[in-house]
Amino acid sequence: MSQVFAAKRKRRKKWDARNWTVFLIATLGLLSILVFHYLPMVGLVLGFKDSDYSANLLQTLLFGDWVGFDYFTAFLHDVDFWNVMSNTLLLNLILLLLNFPAPIIFALILNEVRHAAFKKSIHVITTFPHFISWAIYGGIVIALTDQTTGVMNPIMNVLGLSSEADPVYLMDAAHVWMVIIISSVIKSVGWGSIIYMAAIASIDVQLYEAAELDGVTRLQKAIYITLPSIAPTITVFLLLNIGRLLSNSFEQFNSLQNAVNLSRSEVLSTYVYRLGFSSRRYGYATAIGFFNSLVSLILLIASNFISKKVAGRGIF
Amino acid sequence: MEATKKKRKLTRMRWPDYIIYTVLVLFAIITFYLLWYVIIGSFSNGQEYASGGVFVWAKGFTLANYEVIFQDTQFWTAFRNTVVRTAVGVVCELLFTALVAYGMTSKHLRCKKAYYWIFLFTMFFSGGIVPMYLVLRIIGLYDTFWVYILPSMFSVYNMIIISNFYKGIPYSLYEAAELDGAGELRIWALIYMPLSKPVLATVALWVAVDHWNSYMGTMLYTQAGEWTITLQYYLKHLINNASGASSGSEYSDLVTAKTISYAGIIVALIPIMCFYPFIQKHFTKGIMIGSLKG
Repeated sequence: MSQVFAAKRKRRKKWDARNWTVFLIATLGLLSILVFHYLPMVGLVLGFKDSDYSANLLQTLLFGDWVGFDYFTAFLHDVDFWNVMSNTLLLNLILLLLNFPAPIIFALILNEVRHAAFKKSIHVITTFPHFISWAIYGGIVIALTDQTTGVMNPIMNVLGLSSEADPVYLMDAAHVWMVIIISSVIKSVGWGSIIYMAAIASIDVQLYEAAELDGVTRLQKAIYITLPSIAPTITVFLLLNIGRLLSNSFEQFNSLQNAVNLSRSEVLSTYVYRLGFSSRRYGYATAIGFFNSLVSLILLIASNFISKKVAGRGIF
Repeated sequence: MEATKKKRKLTRMRWPDYIIYTVLVLFAIITFYLLWYVIIGSFSNGQEYASGGVFVWAKGFTLANYEVIFQDTQFWTAFRNTVVRTAVGVVCELLFTALVAYGMTSKHLRCKKAYYWIFLFTMFFSGGIVPMYLVLRIIGLYDTFWVYILPSMFSVYNMIIISNFYKGIPYSLYEAAELDGAGELRIWALIYMPLSKPVLATVALWVAVDHWNSYMGTMLYTQAGEWTITLQYYLKHLINNASGASSGSEYSDLVTAKTISYAGIIVALIPIMCFYPFIQKHFTKGIMIGSLKG
């Protein structure tokens, strides 16, 4: 009996050339992950050490004085705290509420188009902004909203929202949310609709044919056949987006920020950058970044859990 | 008879169609106008542009803005760096990530679950930018060209996408090669890689667009020097300059910082526009591959 076990163990332990090769390959990946992802996590210790304005971060990391949760409590009492937090949470929530249904509606509308060439060209044009970098896209938005040369003010003049004598500066604190939201929807709606168009394309045509026999209108078809059919896709993507709520794009907000609108456009990711890289408050920035990562992680796990319960599939 | 009837049914328009078509055309026009606005600005005389009213057509048509950009050595340094970064970045990430994906799909890998979870965790939690800065400083990548390549060489997300594709390759092919005595690396390079061209093309395009468009890395982990300045970073700099109040005076009376930045934007968009029709098709396929995951 023990002989059998020993033989078994021996067989399991024995590594041949193939085992070694794939082990080395996977370990190469592991090494890269350890250096570029886990090593920075060790660096989170900076958030618990007296490391603001430190000249030698490595030394501070290893031998600096512990400050416990001082930076975290300092953040809670920071004058910027409510500003940054409300910008991050509210703005991202609004972006989610608009950016999420917009591609679905767009896909439904596009689905009603029966000229294939027209459908394709609309889709090609509206997907293009997705491929423009935020640096350029931000530049275009700044150009359009310029007080003297931009096109937005003349349009608003026609609509009676501003006047030639007193042009509205759309990139100021009062209007920047609107600019961020509208520009974000235009950039993402075409691209976001691809997944729903694919889901719609896979719906059984017989459902529509049966409905047509019953004399169902097009709107009813869209509401009672198309939408329920793509509901699983919608659920998964909604939850995915909730999970990503806080891991917002640094470049998106950074590219639209200026000195005037900062109070309304500063979000966690840009705030961490400003503190850590412009003000050299390394410890404070690390602590806030850590807070950001933790909240994102919790949101993600929660939304994934719900996704698995509701839709039967999650991301991990 | 049947065919013509069907065709007529397809093209007959009712009033909801007109609304739908109008909405879509309007939206497409808005999207296209974003680009058009910059194009006409870039061909406009800077001073005339500054007085406003350039909305439909260029005012005081000139190529001077492009001449300034073409003579701007820093622009071309940034352009070169971005081209090299994109090319090297795509090749490195594709080869390395595909290789690891092969290892992770192999039945010969022990403790696969452990690797998988260690990899996966990094997709959902990161140390943040300050600790990353410190690590790059310590290992000597800070302010070098390789800061763009090495950290992104292995992407867990793309690894999962590629390995999902690998799982669909018939195992009998592997067994046949194994019988012929081919080693793992040879099987990967000669069987798996050629067979996974569609997914590799998609991932390559994802990676290429990311490399081309990113400027955050330059801001955070470099001093934007000779080999580290990137195109998007430089454009951001041009755009920031242009929105400053006093700029424009240092140039000739044909151009201003604003119109120059528009020319820069257009030059930077040309590669994307050239590849776009080709990219778009692959991306549409690619997002399907990505969504199959899970």
